[in-house]
Amino acid sequence: MPSASENKPTVKQQREARRAEKVAQLKKKQAAEKRKQRIGIGIAAGAAVVAVGLVVTFVVTNATPPVDRDTIDIADAQTFDGITANHVQGVVDYEAEYEMNPPAGGNHNQVWLNCGVYEEPQQNENAVHSLEHGAIWVTYDPEALSDDEIETLRDAVPSTYAIVSPYEGLPSAVAVSGWGAQVQVDSVDDERIEQFIQKYWKSPDVPEPGAACTGAIDGPGKLS
Amino acid sequence: MDPASSPDPAPRRGIRHTVLAIAGVALLVIAALLVGRFAGAAQATPGDSSVEAGFARDMQQHHLQAVEMSFLVRDRTDDESVRLLAYDIANAQSHQAGQMYGWLAEWGLTQASPEPSMTWMTRPTIDGSAHEHDGADHTPGEPMPGLATSEQIAELTAADGVEAERIFLRLMIAHHLGGVEMAEAAIARTEKRVVVDLSTSIVNSQEKEILLMEELLAERG
Repeated sequence: MPSASENKPTVKQQREARRAEKVAQLKKKQAAEKRKQRIGIGIAAGAAVVAVGLVVTFVVTNATPPVDRDTIDIADAQTFDGITANHVQGVVDYEAEYEMNPPAGGNHNQVWLNCGVYEEPQQNENAVHSLEHGAIWVTYDPEALSDDEIETLRDAVPSTYAIVSPYEGLPSAVAVSGWGAQVQVDSVDDERIEQFIQKYWKSPDVPEPGAACTGAIDGPGKLS
Repeated sequence: MDPASSPDPAPRRGIRHTVLAIAGVALLVIAALLVGRFAGAAQATPGDSSVEAGFARDMQQHHLQAVEMSFLVRDRTDDESVRLLAYDIANAQSHQAGQMYGWLAEWGLTQASPEPSMTWMTRPTIDGSAHEHDGADHTPGEPMPGLATSEQIAELTAADGVEAERIFLRLMIAHHLGGVEMAEAAIARTEKRVVVDLSTSIVNSQEKEILLMEELLAERG
């Protein structure tokens, strides 16, 4: 009768059972480790996504670094130091007194020119007073620019604290002036126009920052 | 589980785990630092294209037009109630515009903007919502809400007496509604104390003035 040997496992069978149990244990352990590893990768990936997302959001919404005005270097721009700022009657010869053409500061009329776009030349003495208040004055030679180019120039200028007007006898196609500073360029697409605006528009370095560029007089040919 | 091909798998897996753990921790640290920076954004100096800078630049321009219109009507009418209202608006708004000019200087930013006006109003709000009244329906570069056109300024400039009062009141009610909208858009997008405080006072004072101007306009038919 083989019954005894059937009921009682042989040594070989016992060994195989232990081995199967051991394998099952190992497989379980391996699965657990794999799960842990997957969780680890998941956490790492999640953290990476969060980090990248935060960086992108932060950069987009806030982190554009401030531009230090002093570091904006405008090629061939001129500056004028120690210019006087008195109120005077009559005509000022800016070329003789300050070596400026067109004017970029100096003595001026008591009445400032209201900022805006003009299609006619303006009185220097009024416009210079506006520069004293932080405006920039964009002058152009009407002979040198097409209507499209004049339109491009007008669009490039802020809608307040800026004067745009033609200027007779301008030595270049376009001259952009602030109080004590000027750049002359030959094209309305010259990047120095924008650089000049960034550096000098509503500058804190003018004699009267924050004073108005409205409420005085409109010159001839005001468009807007 | 072939011992021949993988004689000693445990240590290698251990190294991999260590590397992963270090990478995970490093990323979490970076994320935590950024969260901290974000949470501290209310105290940090706003950047060149921040909501705070955009608001300070656009609102200055908006305010200074209100000052201009107020002086125009004061020179064109003898009516004491309109003249006093205009006096109040001109002083309050030029003072507020000066504050915003000062913020930009303090933050080391130029007055000129690197992007079109109104861009800041299209940025996400702090709570992630985008309601119409929070400015989400605007596009960068379009005129600011309530700003009078140069034709409307010319119309006010050419008028006098009751006619000038009516034009002024109509334009200034629209101007204030736009100003309130911009101030609310800023409040929804910043935790910077000075910006929230000024915006809140703009909303409160201009809403009151809108009601007063509606009354004054009704009296003038």
